[in-house]
Amino acid sequence: MSFIEVKGLKYKYPHTSKLVLNGINFEADKGQFIGIIGENQAGKSTLCQAFAGLVPTMFRGAYGGKVLIGGVEASKVPIAVLCQKVGLVFQNPFNQLSGAKDTVFEEIAFGLQNLGIPREEIGKRVEKALMLLDINKYKERNPFDLSGGQIQRVAIASILAMEPEVLVLDEPTSQLDPQGSESVFQVIEKLAKTGITIIMVEQKMEKLAAYCDKILLLHQGTQVAYDVPERIFSRDDLKKLGVKPPIYTQVSKLLLVNRKEGEEFIYPVTLKQIEKQKDQFPSIRSAGVRERNSEKQDKGVFSIRDLSYYYVPGVLVIDKLTLNLDMRPTAVIGQNGAGKTTLVKLLKGLLKPKAGTVLLEGEDISGRTVAQLAKKIGYVFQNPDDQIFKNQVLEEVMVGPLNIGMTRKEGEARAREALEMVGLLHAAKENPYDLDLSERKMVAIASVVAMDPKVLILDEPTIAQDVRGREVLGQLIRTMEEKGKFVLAILHDMDFAARYFRRFIVMTGGKVIADGPGDQVFYEKDTLIKARLEPPHITRLCELLGYEGAFLTTEDIRK
Amino acid sequence: MKHLFKTRLHAAAFVLIPACIGINYLGKLFASVLKLPLWLDSIGTCIGGVLGGPIIGAVCGAANNLIFGFTTGDSITLVYALTSLGIGAAVGIMARLGHMEKLLGAILTAVAAGLTAVIISTPLNVIFWGGATGNVWGDLVFAWSQSAGLPVFFGSFLDELVVDVPDKLITVLIVFAIVKGLPKKLTSLYDVNDEVESLD
Amino acid sequence: MKSISLYIDKDSFLTRLHPFAKLVYILAAISVPLIGGALWMYGLFLVFSLGLLISGGILKKVFPLIAFSFTILITIFLIHGLFNKENITFLFRIGGLTFYREGLLYACRIGLNILNMLLAFASFVLTTRPADLVDDLEQAGFSPRFGYMITSVFQIIPQMMGTMNTILDAQRSRGMETEGSLFTRARAFIPLIAPVVSSSLINTRERAIALEVRGFGSKNKKTFLKEHRLSGGDKMFMFLMALLIAASAVWRILHVIY
Repeated sequence: MSFIEVKGLKYKYPHTSKLVLNGINFEADKGQFIGIIGENQAGKSTLCQAFAGLVPTMFRGAYGGKVLIGGVEASKVPIAVLCQKVGLVFQNPFNQLSGAKDTVFEEIAFGLQNLGIPREEIGKRVEKALMLLDINKYKERNPFDLSGGQIQRVAIASILAMEPEVLVLDEPTSQLDPQGSESVFQVIEKLAKTGITIIMVEQKMEKLAAYCDKILLLHQGTQVAYDVPERIFSRDDLKKLGVKPPIYTQVSKLLLVNRKEGEEFIYPVTLKQIEKQKDQFPSIRSAGVRERNSEKQDKGVFSIRDLSYYYVPGVLVIDKLTLNLDMRPTAVIGQNGAGKTTLVKLLKGLLKPKAGTVLLEGEDISGRTVAQLAKKIGYVFQNPDDQIFKNQVLEEVMVGPLNIGMTRKEGEARAREALEMVGLLHAAKENPYDLDLSERKMVAIASVVAMDPKVLILDEPTIAQDVRGREVLGQLIRTMEEKGKFVLAILHDMDFAARYFRRFIVMTGGKVIADGPGDQVFYEKDTLIKARLEPPHITRLCELLGYEGAFLTTEDIRK
Repeated sequence: MKHLFKTRLHAAAFVLIPACIGINYLGKLFASVLKLPLWLDSIGTCIGGVLGGPIIGAVCGAANNLIFGFTTGDSITLVYALTSLGIGAAVGIMARLGHMEKLLGAILTAVAAGLTAVIISTPLNVIFWGGATGNVWGDLVFAWSQSAGLPVFFGSFLDELVVDVPDKLITVLIVFAIVKGLPKKLTSLYDVNDEVESLD
Repeated sequence: MKSISLYIDKDSFLTRLHPFAKLVYILAAISVPLIGGALWMYGLFLVFSLGLLISGGILKKVFPLIAFSFTILITIFLIHGLFNKENITFLFRIGGLTFYREGLLYACRIGLNILNMLLAFASFVLTTRPADLVDDLEQAGFSPRFGYMITSVFQIIPQMMGTMNTILDAQRSRGMETEGSLFTRARAFIPLIAPVVSSSLINTRERAIALEVRGFGSKNKKTFLKEHRLSGGDKMFMFLMALLIAASAVWRILHVIY
């Protein structure tokens, strides 16, 4: 008998008619690393919650089949007992904190206190978890004052201190920036070697391909396949299932680098495997020179002169910045604290410059209120829940247009158009809170697009979006460009940025240290190191293969 | 109506209550920042009652005043812990009776909550502050009643009535709008009648 | 993170005193004058509270608390001084308003009661860390779940206030006005408060998951990270307060007899 056995698992939330899990069957051995993939609403999170017994004990609803962990049936024991066998870590860092503890130490001890573990033992276990997660230095800090990546590590430590046999990770990095994700991945890599059984849902396929013994592929609640990563990612129906294989596999598929296993073609899925098959890759390919004609000098939008800003006097967050922004879709990149969000807030008028000016099409914006600027400059906030207050998607999207004086008829037409662009027209009559986070983000974007602003500013639009969501976003950016709108985005996802944006502004310490098209910026090694950024995966891969020229997307290889 | 007072005291209930208390705090803060002539300090308590039933509503209300009384120095609120408890319980009972599903029922709930508040607060006002409430409009009515020679108790009752009933009306209408918009996935956490159904 | 608690981190007799001892003090301060029934007893505890607050070096922090209840004090004096039904003895006249002795005396009693309560509470509130109070309550047998509920309030409110600022920016970015006539301000109320209310309610679902997977529902007896017992001094103080309450009862009985 295997350590983990899932037999014919079915589940339906209360008051709903659709099965979110429908016939899941698989087994895993102790110490294995199992990945779970699939597009949004594939049932990944629900499955994770079934391991922890939350489904059905906490959520009720309709349940069928079995989840056995070390012979214990997950649906039959109280969660408080099961949690000593199965630990669960999920997406949102903040919501995982107990919300009642003032220091990291106490936070990690919380679960152990609940279980009534003796005091000396608690001390030992917490210290051990602090060390393992590399957060000993935050021990006495208030967990709410830490960054997302740090909190996520505290959350993992809190679970590990309870010494579970299985660790379930439900997209632990999906709401983190690259720095934070990287710190979490380093920890996961370390854990995988300790012999604990790990089940992980993740969108970053490169990581899963490297860690996993086996991968479970889900689609709309049903199990499509359960197999080793090579076989899963070599499937040719992935696109239909809303899954993108690792970039290494994408390139190998494009260049037909594979090996035959029976009737099937198996492609490399990790950098290691690529290196092994390096001689199979066609030799030196050079990317064609990109057309630069269209990028000469477009009409100016923003003209920024000697702009400075600080929150605390003496600590400049924006440091005498001078910059002209034209119509090219522009991505602002840089690490946390580089001043990106402050810069766009200054452009939107949410912050007033401490020195210098911002001109929008020649006019100084300092005299205008935020509400007045709303007509011209649209700004989409990171968290959609900070703005949604209507009970219907269409009504929510119409709020902005009505605020700026459009008639109901005009507002509704604009709102429908915007919803169409984000692929949510079918949900116009739904309650925004019944949609999931990625869809709510789209609603927030639509609610700004519907105001028909000249400038669209996006703050981290790709966080929490799956493959399909990213494509919709990319398409939206292209459409806006065609309509003569200026799109400015803060982005951490370099693969996405390289594909859809034409100008890149690299910031660090409140200054711009590089500015230009991707094939230039992503090849300025020293600048990238200084800004602690990494070029897109594909750029790194082509470098490894010794390909000369500028490669920013997989299409660049085909050319 | 055997489910009227049934309550699930699980983790979800113990995180709902602090959230509701936070909402009370924000409502009160906002009413004063926007200079609205209302209190709006029981929005959370009412939400607690609607989602979790009368017991959770009552706990929300009482805990709200006790916590603020013992930590923010506003010891006057302590006196009204009983009133808040009553409001939470009243809204909870009305919701369990199914009145919070339609607008008309919500108005009825508001009246019930308002009257509960008035009935509990009036004796407290008389015992602690000789009948006044500290609300300008209400106290004008009280002053008028006293100059007209009406009994203290009746004057204080009128004082409370003109303040509490409109306040609870607005509060419950806001709660009605908000709760209607909450996702099923959340509200079903507090349903007491559901059991796990078997698909085997 | 800005806390809503008024606790001031200063080492003094009051901060060292066990929270329970301070609670007993509040009990004594409120009940002794009520039981004893004499006005000078209010005076006694007012002086006592002031002394404690001065010794703790926190007298200055008390004034905002008193200012809090200033309007209600004024109202009480006005209404009872002018209209109290017992009013017979004319005292003085300001403009067209006539004040009477009986009403003002009644108002005085209520005013002293309020002031006394405020100061007694202040000596507790300003010197007790909420988390410590909850921990002590739990060690004395109070339900840890209710304990969780209380401490969580102190984290959730600053968090919600932070969210509030972002919401204000987000709605202004969509062209909403927040300043102007009463109507404009009232209209802004819903777009500002609804997102924070809904999202904090929605977050409770995940927070509940987080608690469940950390054994919140466990039937085992909770372990405490540090033990905090009543010291000899604490017990002595509590005994003294109990003595005062008893003395006030005796005083009242004697008073009735003679």
